[in-house]
Amino acid sequence: MSEDCVLIANRGEIAIRIMNACNELGLGYVVVYTREDEASFHVELAREQRGAGAVYRISSYKDPNEIFSVADRANATAIHPGYGFFSENFRFARRAALRSRPLTFIGPRWEVIRDLGSKINTKRVAKSLGIPVIPGSDSPIYNEMDAEALAEELFFMQKEQGIKHPSILVKASAGGGGMGIEEVNHLDTFKRVYRRIQNYAKRQFGDEGDLIEQCLTDYQHLEVQLLCSRHGEVVHFGTRNCTIQSTGRQKRVEAAPGFDPQLYDYPFDASKVLERMVKYSVRLAKHVGYDNVGTWEWVVTRDGSPYLLEVNTRIQVENEISAAISRIKGHQGPVNLIKEQIRSALGEKLGFKQKDVSFEGTSIELRIVAEDVKRGFSPWCGTISRFDFPEEPWARLYTHVPRGRPYSIPTEYDPNLALAIIWGRNTEEAKERAKAFISACNIQGEDSQGRAIVTNLDYLYERLEDVLRF
Amino acid sequence: MADSGKLLTQLADRISYLIDIKGDAKWANLDELLDRVHGLRQSLFDITEARLFEELDRIEERVSFLEDRVAEKLSPAEVVNIVRSIQRFTLQDVLENVYDSYTELGGEGECNIDPAMVVARAIISRRVKNKLYRHQVMVIGHEKGRGEEFRNGGCARPWGNDKALRYMRVAETEGIPIHFFIFTPGSFPIEDYPGAAQQIARNLYVMSKLKVPMVSFISEGGSGGAEAIGLSDIRLMGAMGYYSVISPEGAAAIEGRIREGEKLPKELIRHCAAQLKMTAKDNLELGTIDRIIEEPPLGARREDYGFFRRLRYEMIRATDEVVLKTKSFRAFRAYALKQRAEEGKDIPEDFDVAIAWDLSDLEIERLLELRSKKYRGLGKRGYIQLKKGLRLGLGRARDMATKGYYELRYGLLRPHQRNVQKVIEEVSGEGTVFLKKVTEPVRAAYDFVFPKLERPRKVSAPESMERRSIFAEDWEQYVSPLANEDRTVTCPNASKYGCLDLWVPDLYGELCGVCPSCGHHFPLEYQWYLENLFDQGSVREFNTHIVSGNPLNFQGLDARLKRDIKRTGRKSAIITFDAEVKGIKLVVAMLYSDFRSGTVGSAEGEKFVRACDRARTTRRPFLAYIHTTGGIRIQEGTLGVVQMPKCTVAVREYIDSGGLYMVVYDNNSYAGPVASFLGCSPYQVGIRSSRIGFAGPRVIRETTGQDVPPDYHSARNALKRGHIQGIWDRREFRKNLYDALVTMGGPNLYYK
Amino acid sequence: MDINLNDLLRRYKSHPFEDYKLETPHTGIISFKVEDGQPVKGPSGKWLHKPGTLLYVLEREKNPKRIYAPCSGEVVHVRTELDGQFVEAGEELLSIRHRLDKDEIIDRILTQVLFIFGAPQRARFFLIPEMATKIERKSSGSICVAPGDEILIMSLMKRDTMIAYAGEPGVIYKVYFKSGDLVEQGAPLLGICSPEKLPYINKVIQRIKTEWED
Repeated sequence: MSEDCVLIANRGEIAIRIMNACNELGLGYVVVYTREDEASFHVELAREQRGAGAVYRISSYKDPNEIFSVADRANATAIHPGYGFFSENFRFARRAALRSRPLTFIGPRWEVIRDLGSKINTKRVAKSLGIPVIPGSDSPIYNEMDAEALAEELFFMQKEQGIKHPSILVKASAGGGGMGIEEVNHLDTFKRVYRRIQNYAKRQFGDEGDLIEQCLTDYQHLEVQLLCSRHGEVVHFGTRNCTIQSTGRQKRVEAAPGFDPQLYDYPFDASKVLERMVKYSVRLAKHVGYDNVGTWEWVVTRDGSPYLLEVNTRIQVENEISAAISRIKGHQGPVNLIKEQIRSALGEKLGFKQKDVSFEGTSIELRIVAEDVKRGFSPWCGTISRFDFPEEPWARLYTHVPRGRPYSIPTEYDPNLALAIIWGRNTEEAKERAKAFISACNIQGEDSQGRAIVTNLDYLYERLEDVLRF
Repeated sequence: MADSGKLLTQLADRISYLIDIKGDAKWANLDELLDRVHGLRQSLFDITEARLFEELDRIEERVSFLEDRVAEKLSPAEVVNIVRSIQRFTLQDVLENVYDSYTELGGEGECNIDPAMVVARAIISRRVKNKLYRHQVMVIGHEKGRGEEFRNGGCARPWGNDKALRYMRVAETEGIPIHFFIFTPGSFPIEDYPGAAQQIARNLYVMSKLKVPMVSFISEGGSGGAEAIGLSDIRLMGAMGYYSVISPEGAAAIEGRIREGEKLPKELIRHCAAQLKMTAKDNLELGTIDRIIEEPPLGARREDYGFFRRLRYEMIRATDEVVLKTKSFRAFRAYALKQRAEEGKDIPEDFDVAIAWDLSDLEIERLLELRSKKYRGLGKRGYIQLKKGLRLGLGRARDMATKGYYELRYGLLRPHQRNVQKVIEEVSGEGTVFLKKVTEPVRAAYDFVFPKLERPRKVSAPESMERRSIFAEDWEQYVSPLANEDRTVTCPNASKYGCLDLWVPDLYGELCGVCPSCGHHFPLEYQWYLENLFDQGSVREFNTHIVSGNPLNFQGLDARLKRDIKRTGRKSAIITFDAEVKGIKLVVAMLYSDFRSGTVGSAEGEKFVRACDRARTTRRPFLAYIHTTGGIRIQEGTLGVVQMPKCTVAVREYIDSGGLYMVVYDNNSYAGPVASFLGCSPYQVGIRSSRIGFAGPRVIRETTGQDVPPDYHSARNALKRGHIQGIWDRREFRKNLYDALVTMGGPNLYYK
Repeated sequence: MDINLNDLLRRYKSHPFEDYKLETPHTGIISFKVEDGQPVKGPSGKWLHKPGTLLYVLEREKNPKRIYAPCSGEVVHVRTELDGQFVEAGEELLSIRHRLDKDEIIDRILTQVLFIFGAPQRARFFLIPEMATKIERKSSGSICVAPGDEILIMSLMKRDTMIAYAGEPGVIYKVYFKSGDLVEQGAPLLGICSPEKLPYINKVIQRIKTEWED
């Protein structure tokens, strides 16, 4: 393993976290960057740690050819895709595995990525294992007649349940990330929406199959963190709550564990719900032979019913809050899931079992973004001149924004500036610490017209109140 | 003196004509001879009349001697030169000398939708026992003109061919015969609506069942352009004419792989002219024409009135023949015997009989039947038929059984009914009155024996059954051999749309050869379609024993055929097979690029016709999937060209029977096939990124002098021009095909 | 707003060149096909469908990509030391010293005469689809804009924003970018000519046409 060299096919804070993990594991690494990211801290850091030869400028993070070309050039043996970009691209993973100079893809097997990458397929398999999924179609529908019949049934079912404003969602089955989804509130408008989505799907994904499911309105968004190895080991790291999101379903504040029944009252037995979710997630992971880190996304409705949404076959931004509350074999200090992910991908055994994992406290993640919350979360761009944050033993901050020199935010990518991970012995303490952290942050900068930087710090502060509340 | 001036002009013309024929002014010092004539004209008033005539005699003697020498042995290339000479007669001369009077329709001279295509209502007359009989005919033909630019050298534009078609229909409505005169080096290869290829295809489609007698005369038969007005009941050809699949220059450019703009070696052109078997004699031997019309030894010129007399006689005689054959065979034989006795002699001044050229319904039916037979029989000797082995023999037994079954099921009563009808007609002149009574019980029996078919249940099977592919690895079943390489390729649209380089195993695997960002379709081998378009294991090939041959003994073709047979493991450029699409049985003909660039020769045509007939007897839809076709196989000469009318006849009969004929173009589809049996389909579709057209950019540049944009032949433009009805994505081919099968086509499909 | 046309023309005449710096589009191993001082041709043909001179081959993932000259001129500053080496994306390779032709001179001078609507931010820009088709059909010249017209889409941080035109009303004389181009802040997007200025601009063009010889 120590001979391995990891190509980090990503940017921003995740690149830095992967670099740290590699350092801790004693692995070599190389990074890539684009012209827009020339000033990014991950480039500077890599040059510092591994020299100019470990840094390559490429045309785009999205061009797999560039990644492989550099991997060969740099004699890398593995690729860490981070999140986004190629992390859930089974073709990329397959190419890495099948090319004449194979590379280890740090993620699950490509077959798993492919099969779980399809929401419909996930839903069908889950259903066959007795795992609850949102009522609706479990295979893409191509036929308008079938679609209408199903829509009618879903409306009827909701009315029967006494739901006041029943609605359903029409989704492009090949889509994802909020694209190609539309809500239908009335059966009469269904046909038109269905056709529109069908056309969109055909244009966008070359597959006009659509999904139809009940639209849930009052729910919380939860996740189960799993870590599996190539040796069939499956271990979970508890749950997270990611309900606080900006428009466009962008997560902003996350917390682990998923609920806190000690602090808040829930209209259901929260511990039991979490337990069920974990149990189901593990069941599915074992069934498909899952072999790396993964996140099982769930929604929990007010009546305490969990429904499996999808599986994210990658490391998530918010993985560290799960890691922060986890202890292995009673060791003090948090787990590093990225490190575990790399080890597992390179073929090592986990070295611990589920019973060795215990949990302690609450952790909250804050996503600090340069965006104007009052104007529909529109991104701000300009130059950051100052970026200070408090140093605390209970907080960690990850950012690609360099300190000590002005940094202009590249316009090509997400305007994320930093991630703050806060830990507290209990939820209340975590929240207090998070507030203290935000208050002590100092971000300054201005845009091309000389207007001051806009960030979401105030928003994050306000939303902390809602954390873990249903 | 005026006379001598005329004589001088005549002499100069004769010498120029010889220069035209030899294509070389230096031959036998013709240029000097011409200079002498010009010199005489200059000094016309300076020399004595005696000396002048003395000199004239000498030159005349020399010219006559040279004319004899040239006529003694005319090479095919020289025949081509004769035809192209400005002194050769044109349609104008024919109209003036062969017909008594004529009225040009659809334009006059330059004021014309297409001056290269002339249509005229004309009267042709014959004398029988001192009585004059007049026949009304429609004359349609190319006018090469005398070098006027607007005549375009007799290259009909698409709308010129459309005009021809319009007046063919007029003739049909009025019930008068059509005389076609073919004087064209080829069709003008532009795609503007109605499109060169598509219009020729439409013409062929209509002509194959046009209900009037048609006779054509070929002077210059340039491939597709000739066919546009060439599908007739009798084809005559001038003894000095040529009829060819391609110009000798075109053939030379292809055979010699001569780059554009480079000079073609004369020797190569001569060689190709000979190889293409384009003379009247060659064509008569090949069976692509019916008769040769004698011409003067060096070909008919504008003042060869004797020739026009002969032409008039032959046109009448041929029309008589067509008409008589539809009446009774005995009458025709008597007529033919009579006429044969005349052969060899000069043409008679009088006809023995006057024959009316209008046909009764029954005769029309017979006319069409004979025409069908004639064209279906063309090119039969152009392919090799292998003896079938035991397994194939079994297949044939099955074929026979199938045929018997379907004949019994669908076909039995139709010919029977016809026979009955004929008997009645012969017995009394008022067949129709009786007919009903006699056929009524027959119809009842028909309905009894063949109850209405029920729609097979599979057709309406739910879609979702078919679509379980997201999890199932059905794309892994067939992997293109192109995919077995670890490398990337660049999409041709990369600079325009920023497409990323594609990893070959992805591209040719599950991406189906389609660029995911711009949708460009990379070519895929034809096997991919065999595997992905049809239900697993449903493809069953037939007629594999029909093999492409080299009927003209074209130099070098044997080796190339051998190589392609070895390379592809197949024996012709067409694969015909039964297949199923989601349970619907259909017959498919597939032209593919690996064998002689998917060109169509006699074997391909025959296999196509048989597939078409098979679809008709089994009442199945018929799909022509054109993976690629480079046109007619030029090495088969006019045997290749006649595949155009031949296959069109079969297609027309299939469509008329109530089937569904679909054409899907992929990659590159050009020339003859598109201009005939493919282009006439009512349902034509292009696969994305395919190119469809009549002639490639180079030919267009060389014939029209115009450059065409790179996307001139793109499916998108073909769609814009109305040539195709839609563009299909390869990934949706199967689904769209199935939808088309279910929703389109005539009433006679087995599942309707 | 008058410009000194004589000065401008004199300046361009004394140095009618512009250097085009060429960079690698992506990583790969490079092999040069041209040398310093070599004249090269740009794309040609009526539809510019024939590629120009082959400049270099860049091989990545077993795909040797041939890169052709985007314009005519003389090759200068070839970094021959890179030949046969692995290069990163965006590496400067060579320049083409391009001699400006009459139309290009007109373009250059007009940017100083027209009202230039520049990019408000460094971003990718698109014309709104209706405008794009209009311009394609009429090749601009007759499409009017007024302040407040939303004619551009700015794509920034994965978000599309409509951009309203601000400036003097007039016809779109020139579009300086291709849809989807990354445009630097302040770089020209559109050249607008107000109706009253049109005769003046035509005069300028006429002047250049008569005085400039290719």
